[in-house]
Amino acid sequence: MQNIALIRLQMNHLVTQARQDIHSLSVMNDSSDNSQTLQRLWDTVSTMHFLSEMLANQAMMAGYYFSTVPAPALPAQTGTAAQPVVPPVTPLPNQTLPPPGERTLTLQELETYDGKNGRPAYVAVGGVVYDVTNNRAWAAATHFGLVAGKDYTAEFASCHAGQESILATLPIVGRLAE
Amino acid sequence: MKKVVLPPESLTNEAIAARLTNAADENLKKGLINKRNLVYLELNGCSGNIISLLNGQNPSFEYTLNSLVDLRYSNSLMAAEGERASEKLMAVLDEDFILAVEGAVALKNNGLYNVIGSLDGQPLTGLQAATILGERASHILAVGACATHGGVSAAKPNPSESVSLQQVLLDREMIKLPGCPVNPDWFLGTLAHLLLYGEPETDNLGRPLMFYSTLIHDRCPRRPFFDRGIFAEKLGDKTCLFKLGCRGPVTRTDCPTRQWNGRVNWPIGDDTPCIGCSQFGFPDAMAPFISFDTTRVVKDE
Ligand code: HEM
Ligand code: SF4
Repeated sequence: MQNIALIRLQMNHLVTQARQDIHSLSVMNDSSDNSQTLQRLWDTVSTMHFLSEMLANQAMMAGYYFSTVPAPALPAQTGTAAQPVVPPVTPLPNQTLPPPGERTLTLQELETYDGKNGRPAYVAVGGVVYDVTNNRAWAAATHFGLVAGKDYTAEFASCHAGQESILATLPIVGRLAE
Repeated sequence: MKKVVLPPESLTNEAIAARLTNAADENLKKGLINKRNLVYLELNGCSGNIISLLNGQNPSFEYTLNSLVDLRYSNSLMAAEGERASEKLMAVLDEDFILAVEGAVALKNNGLYNVIGSLDGQPLTGLQAATILGERASHILAVGACATHGGVSAAKPNPSESVSLQQVLLDREMIKLPGCPVNPDWFLGTLAHLLLYGEPETDNLGRPLMFYSTLIHDRCPRRPFFDRGIFAEKLGDKTCLFKLGCRGPVTRTDCPTRQWNGRVNWPIGDDTPCIGCSQFGFPDAMAPFISFDTTRVVKDE
């Protein structure tokens, strides 16, 4: 997503999608199916909004270069491309993070990333440390009674069994020290 | 032939409600729809849902009670009291009735932590009432947080050992209307749907899709601020309330569009974060309701 051609391609896809949805809405007379299409249309427009902001940003900062980040080498992240994106599509900050996989945090270090006082909010699952600072489900660095800064391997297994795709949507910070 | 109403007809809420009301009245008179018995039980809770329902508009609660159903029992609203009231409750058992329950079921000391009346000189516990009526009702509506999942009554440390209605009626299907309190439209709308068209379509947690299918976060007017990472630091700020602990991103209701108090406003519209009152597990799972220490950057904590 770093270069303009790619953003443009994405934008064109979204325009096609939006036109398609508008067409379906115009021919559909079963109103019970409408809500799904309207939801998708809403998401499409939101994403277009975001992309146009990003384009404008790049135009303003012409000459500023993003370093290209290699695909993360950690195992939990491998399935990302194949996984369907779960709406709402919230832009992920991981594209501009330093190459992941280089940091190792101890449990004590992890504890300081509790999301308080402007600090980021990190949680560990299965030895990998994830950033949940701006994840929609982790408002104020809390999530269904859990507070950020801890290892939640067991909690994740019991609450989100079979939902490993959730992890693939989270930016990776590094590994948890053994 | 049905009379077609052509424009210009008034499209105000009142006019639409009046047309619906008249249509329903006519159908009632012609015997096309039948008034059904409604038992509204208040168990272990704060009676906040019935208070919220009294706030209903288009249709109003009075209309619903007078024209749509025969309210046979309601702890708060009925005129009879004491054993007389309990007798009225028991008299419904042999008839067809819809059961609406608000409040949790207290299990401690065999239900004695929640006594709703007396019968033959014995205390009538919420637990007894819920099981006896729950087994006979033709449809069950669990109304509000406590009845649907335990809610505030079952919050830690749960001294009364309160549980949801479903936990004492394990194999009864019921429609669940979470919310603390329930929005009058969610209850009246579900009840009206039940009477006119049968049970509404529900999700895998038993919530009617027509009210509970959309994430608040997906219809929130402050969403553009969230997407750009512009967050409120204190109550009253007009930007996204995420860093203060907004639970809109995990709560499914139509609050942003339907709103409250006669559709006047809603929490986020009044600059206070959503506390997730309609999410299962509220309040414990949605705590803390407000955090001021996430965005603050202080050198010396
Ligand atoms: C106490 C255990 C947990 C419970 C009860 C729980 C519950 C939930 C629920 C109900 C949702 C869905 C919200 C919705 O979209 O309606 C959710 C989403 C989510 N949970 Fe958890 N969770 C738990 C533990 C965790 C842990 C340990 C993590 C750590 C990574 C986590 C990460 C997430 C994320 C990232 C989402 C958002 C998924 C998305 O974007 O769709 N959860 N959680
Ligand atoms: S105020 Fe709450 S519901 Fe609205 S966008 Fe922000 S986090 Fe989402």
